[in-house]
Formats: sequence, C-alpha cells, structure tokens
Amino acid sequence: MISVNVTKGYDLAISGKPSSKLKILKKPDRVAFLPERIPFIIPRLLVKVDDPVKIGSVLFEDKQNTDLKFLSPGSGRVSEINFGPRRVIREIVIELEKQEQYADFRKMTDLEIRTLEKESLIKILMQGGVWPLIRELPFRGIADPKIQPESIWVALGNQEPFQPFPEVYLKGREALFSFGLKILKRFGVPVNVSAPDHLRLQGYDIMITHRVRGHYPAHDPGVILYKTKKSAAENIGWYITGQDLLAIASLMKNGHYPIERIAVMAGSRAQNSGHYQTRVGVPVADMIPGLSSDESCFAGGLLTGYEVNSTSFMGLYETALTCIPKGDQRELFGFLRPGFGKPSFSRTFLSRFRKKPFDMDSGMHGEQRACVNCGSCTKICPVDILPQYTIKCLGADAIEEALAHGLLDCVECGLCSYVCPSKIEIRETLQKARYEYHKEQR
Amino acid sequence: MKIIQTIFDSQRKHFEGSGKLRVLKPLFEATETFFLFPGITAGSGPFVRDSLDLKRFMSFVILALMPPFLFGIYNTGLQSCRVSGLPVDPISVITQGLWIVMPLVMVSYGVGFFWELLFASIRKHPISEGFLVTGLLFPMTLPPAIPLWQVAVGISFGVVIGKEVFGGTGRNIFNPALVGRAFLFFAYPTKMSGDAVWVAVIDPVRKAADAISGATPLACPVSSETGETVVMALEKAGYTLSRLFWGLYPGSIGGTSAFYCLIGAVILILVGVASYRIILGGILGLLGTGLVLNIVAGSSANAWLALPPVYHLIMGGFAFGIVYMATDPVSAPGMENVKWVYGFLIGALTVLIRVFNPAYPEGVMMAILFMNIFSPLLDYIEIGLRLKKRISNV
Repeated sequence: MISVNVTKGYDLAISGKPSSKLKILKKPDRVAFLPERIPFIIPRLLVKVDDPVKIGSVLFEDKQNTDLKFLSPGSGRVSEINFGPRRVIREIVIELEKQEQYADFRKMTDLEIRTLEKESLIKILMQGGVWPLIRELPFRGIADPKIQPESIWVALGNQEPFQPFPEVYLKGREALFSFGLKILKRFGVPVNVSAPDHLRLQGYDIMITHRVRGHYPAHDPGVILYKTKKSAAENIGWYITGQDLLAIASLMKNGHYPIERIAVMAGSRAQNSGHYQTRVGVPVADMIPGLSSDESCFAGGLLTGYEVNSTSFMGLYETALTCIPKGDQRELFGFLRPGFGKPSFSRTFLSRFRKKPFDMDSGMHGEQRACVNCGSCTKICPVDILPQYTIKCLGADAIEEALAHGLLDCVECGLCSYVCPSKIEIRETLQKARYEYHKEQR
Repeated sequence: MKIIQTIFDSQRKHFEGSGKLRVLKPLFEATETFFLFPGITAGSGPFVRDSLDLKRFMSFVILALMPPFLFGIYNTGLQSCRVSGLPVDPISVITQGLWIVMPLVMVSYGVGFFWELLFASIRKHPISEGFLVTGLLFPMTLPPAIPLWQVAVGISFGVVIGKEVFGGTGRNIFNPALVGRAFLFFAYPTKMSGDAVWVAVIDPVRKAADAISGATPLACPVSSETGETVVMALEKAGYTLSRLFWGLYPGSIGGTSAFYCLIGAVILILVGVASYRIILGGILGLLGTGLVLNIVAGSSANAWLALPPVYHLIMGGFAFGIVYMATDPVSAPGMENVKWVYGFLIGALTVLIRVFNPAYPEGVMMAILFMNIFSPLLDYIEIGLRLKKRISNV
C-alpha cells in the first residue's frame, strides 16, 4: 500500500454534516436524464415525447461516437423533453409506470470476466449504458475508449461538503466491489483504489492500494495522480467513483441497467439530512419537500456542483444535494465587524479562534475587484498551479504558458475562487480554458 | 439599518440607467457598499465563498497605519510647538499636530479621490479600495511644512501616472504613493529636503528667533577631519539611539518612529496581510550590508561607512518604507521565495544610497521604487525554476 500525503488544500468548517444513517426514499412518480450535465458530448435524441421506455432503453447517443449510448433510468413514458438556450437538451423526463420493466443485458460470471477481451468489454459497457461512469484525466469528460490509459483510479472518498460517505455505500457490498475491480482489470492497466487513511471497512482493506491523507480535495483522483506520477506519460488516466464501480459490477452481475444510488441530503437548511437509498434522476422536490425563498440548494457539492431548484432532477453523476441559506442579505458595515461567525482561510477574522463549524451561506461576501497579487490562491491550490499568474496568462491568450503552469493538472476543486479576496472567478476561467483546449485537441 | 437601506434604495434611481447623476455611479456604489455590505450570491461554483474581501484586506492596512499616523500627529505638533515657542502640553501639541497634518491628509484624499472617481466613471468600473491606503500613505511620507498645492500635485501624479495609466489598481508597476513622493522630491527639492522643511511652523510671527535646527539625523553634518564618527555627531545633535527608536524628532510625518512602525508590522504579519518575508528580508539586507560596510570602512574619509547598522534600521524612513511600502502586494513580487530577495535588496540598496550618495540622504524611497522595477523579473525567475521541476501535462 502506498501512502499519499497532500499538504495543501483546505477543509471548509461548514455545519450541516449528514448522519451516516441510511434511509429509503419513496419511489418517485417521475425521473429524468440530464444530458446538459454531461461534459463534452453532443447528444442525438433517439426518443420522442410519449414513446414508451424500459429501464435501460436507449434515450440518446453521442454524435461523436454513436456507440456511446445513454439509457433510460426509468420505465414508463417519455413525458417531456426540455430544451435550454441554443437547443441544449436539459432534461428528458420519464413518467414512471407502477410495474417497471427492465431491458435485458448479458449476465456474466467471474469465469467469463476472466477471459473477456478488452474490445468486447468496452462494447458491453457502452451498450449497458455504464461507460459514461468511467471518466478520464486530465479533462474529466467521459473516457475515450480509443486511448489507452496508464492507470485506472477508483476513488473512495471525497471531502467536498457534502458527499456520500464511503462507509455507507460500501457497507456489505465487498463481493460486488471486488467483482467490479476484476472487470476494470481486464483493461490491462494497473487499477488503483484510493481511500482516506482513516477509513476502516471490513473486507476492503486488502483491495485498497493508496491511503490518502490531507485536506479537500486530497481524495480527488487528479490530485492523487499529480502527487504520485513520476513521468509525463502517466498523465492519462481513467477514474471512477466507488459507487459508480458498484453500478458497473451490478450491470454485469444482474443483467439490468443499474439505477440504484445512495444519495446524501445535507447542509444547515436540509430538513431531512442523511443518506438515502434512491435512484438516478430523482426529482429534487422528492428529496427536499419545500424549498423556501431564503434557501439555496446545490446538486453535486457546494464547490464543484450546480444550483438546482425544486423543479430540477438529480443528474447521472450527482449523488449529493446540499441546502444552505441564501447569502443575499446586506449587512451594515459588514467589512468592519470582528467576524466571530465569519469563516475565512485568512487570519483577518476572530473566527480564527472558533472551533465550531459555521453556518455558511451562498453569498460572495464582497464585490469583484482587480487581482492584487495577494497569493492566497497559490497558497491553497492542491496541485501547485499558480492561479493568479495562470489567469493572467489566459487573459493574454498565452495558452502555452498556462499549460506549463499546470492548467491540465487542475482538478476544478474551486478552492481558488473560494479563497480569492477580490472575488475573481478563477475556477470558472480555468475550467473554460480547459474546455476550449479539449475542443481543439479533438 | 432599515433607514440606511431605504435612503440608498430611494436614491439609486438617479445613478442608474438614464438617471441624471449616472456618471457618478461609482461614487454611489462606493458609498453604499461602505455602509451596507453587498448581499450578492455566488453566480457560479463554488457556491460558498470566503468572508475576506478587498475592503477588509485594505482596512487592515489602514488599521496598521494608525500607530505611526497618530504618533505622527503628536510628533509633528510637538516639533512645531517647540520651534514656535508654544507650550508643549499634550492638548496644544495634539491640536497643533492636527492643524498641520489633517489638511495634508484631506487634500491627499480629496484630490486623489477626484482622479479615482474620474477614471472609474470613464472606465465604468468600481472604485478600488486600494486608494484608501495610497491616500493615507502618501501624506505620511511628506515633510510637515510642505505646501498644500504640492500635496495635490504629488497625489495627482501618483494616482494618474503611478497607477491609472497602467490600467488601474492591480496593474501598476510602482507603488503609487512613492511615485507621488518621488515626483515631489525631484520637482520641488527645496520643499522635500534640506533643513528647513521638517518642522512646520504655523504662526511665523511667533517663531522663536533661536529655533532649533530642523536637520534630520540622515543629514547630520559630520566633520571627519577631527576623527568624529557619525554616532558622535548624532549624539552631539541630540540623536541618541533610543530617541531615534521612539521617533520624537523632526522628520516626515509618519516615518520617524521605528517603534510605531514595528507595531504596525506586527499587526500586518499577524493577520497575514503583509508578507513577513519582505519585512524580514529587508531588515536582514540592511543589517548585512551595514556590517559589510563597517568591515571595509577602515580609515575611509566617508564616516558613514562605519555607522553601526542598527542606526540605519531605526533612522529615517526605512522602517516605514519596508513595513508599509515594500509590502504593497501589487508592486512586490508574488512568489514566496523571491520576496526574501526583494526585501533583502531593498535593505541593501537603502544603505548603499544613504552612505554613498550624499544627494539623497533618504535611500529607502529610491530603493523600493528601484526594486519595484525588478519584481516582475524576480517572479519570472522563480516561476521558471518552479516550472522546471513540474512534470509537464499538455
């Protein structure tokens, strides 16, 4: 086992941590697939409104690679297809029937897996709709089957507030997990399993290859790869979360498109905080019954996710819903207060001496200003990018220089934007540049 | 709180869209956000943000400036009262000090703010908080007897040429307050150096005939033929080590006391607003260079070579410069290691200018401006070294 120590990064002291008790969410009336939330794909719809679908029927494919199919997370009737600006497909909503039907996929035994060729495995995963769960570094889109990775990373831990606890979704499923690892091994590259160094789970210890210690985002596969790589050849890797690996294994074992997920509902304003046994594409309103106007809700984590409202649905990748107060309150002489209740990375508030977590809101806590070169982003960046200089390179269109700074090592963790006193959208700038560069490379 | 909110909300219409006062929108926004911290929600991820903003960041510099500023008012008043033959009880000293200093500060803020507002209105961007610091730093570096119109010219030059022509806050190469001071220093040398400017006399009629000389320690005459050392000459003029440290002597308004600058430095370093690397590097550079000069001094005719380095540390404006001017994050290097080099060289250059160039008794201003030019180069070198160690990913 390899120990990885990540020295930089930062853990937000935020209140609203979920309990690790697992509850069951009632079956929803509708589910949805959100093509908009899957990076880099160009979807071509293969269903119309009112078409009947089963769990595992094809909803759409990627125009760039028509083998890449996206399957229905529910059985029933396509009730709505909602478009956003520039005809981007926001949601494909499926009204569920009482007795849901499954499309059939091939079941496989341990023995069959052991003799499986890489090409046919890719085909099975693509047809089974689970290929999008495998993502690639450095761009963090869906893995390109034509490119051979140097390593595959299974990440069991994520300190972003708030994500499902590995001890909850892994409990009692070590056989399935180990089956999943066997599938990944058929790609013929090292399969690494990284876990927090404090995680102790019966049956898993033997499968874990990397023990990671450090602040958020230490458990991101991009950070672990950055910390462990020895040469530039290792930059191309694939990664998958622990829960998604269980989904792949479940497809091969049971022959059904896997829709079960364990999602977490957390944050200081979450009424029913905790872990929930639920499914892909569940309506947000089912998880939070009443969202009031002074609360904001985010899917996929507070730093890397996106804002949702009560008419939205959960995406394919998102297993977290976080509710916090809306930060739209003006405050008299806000910048002069001692700030015992104001969380900060800096030492400029009395909150420095507070041990208790903070009830953080979604406010900017300031206005955008010019960069004064304070260096906070450089101090916090887990992969040693120099964000304050990199954004200036990008502003001057010096993409080569930005790449030399490590633009592609960026894990889009969002700490740079979090910490910036000038409130510059550093993460957004870097992310856009990475998207643009990815487009050029294709 | 409700009342203030109502006042701003009712007046906003005049400053927005086609309102009559729309050119003054930056002024309205600056005033509003001073009273009411804006409640903007994060538009893109991350959706939680740190509580620190630039207003608070700059407020800490202002706070750290308070000890030397308040002391400066007292000291200016005291020197002036002594020369004018007025009583030196605290009340009249402070009144006299306020009477001399506050007009300088008000002119500096007023005129500088005019330029800030002009550029902000034309460029349609908000007024930056950085000016609050520049506007206070600048008068604190001036001699108390400076005419007000020169303060106005100086701050105008500092803000316009030192900052705005480069594109405003965050893009300036030099520290704007020092650019303004350097301009005055070269344009009006009779009002910026010499013996007569360091004590302001408010009422010339009552000026005592035998007023004490206003010579600053750095311009202290040393007769080297008699084998007199600088320390002896300083002591003859009344400048003991402790007096220099506490700062009760004629000089620029904010720069005489090493002790109060030290308090400011402690505040800035504790809250992490100023880089301790620059400050410590500067002190090391100054002491180191001073020691080397002591060693090579021998029987040189230049008595300043043999001055113990600790005098350099507490004399003149070095403490003020290294704590408040050199640590300006915009004009200093951004990389952590070269900050040591940057500070060190400022310290070294200060001593070299003081010792070898009799035309400029105060070297710290020139040293900082000179190193400002080099800070992009220092950053370039450190970034280059750092990127060499990085495993490339393209």
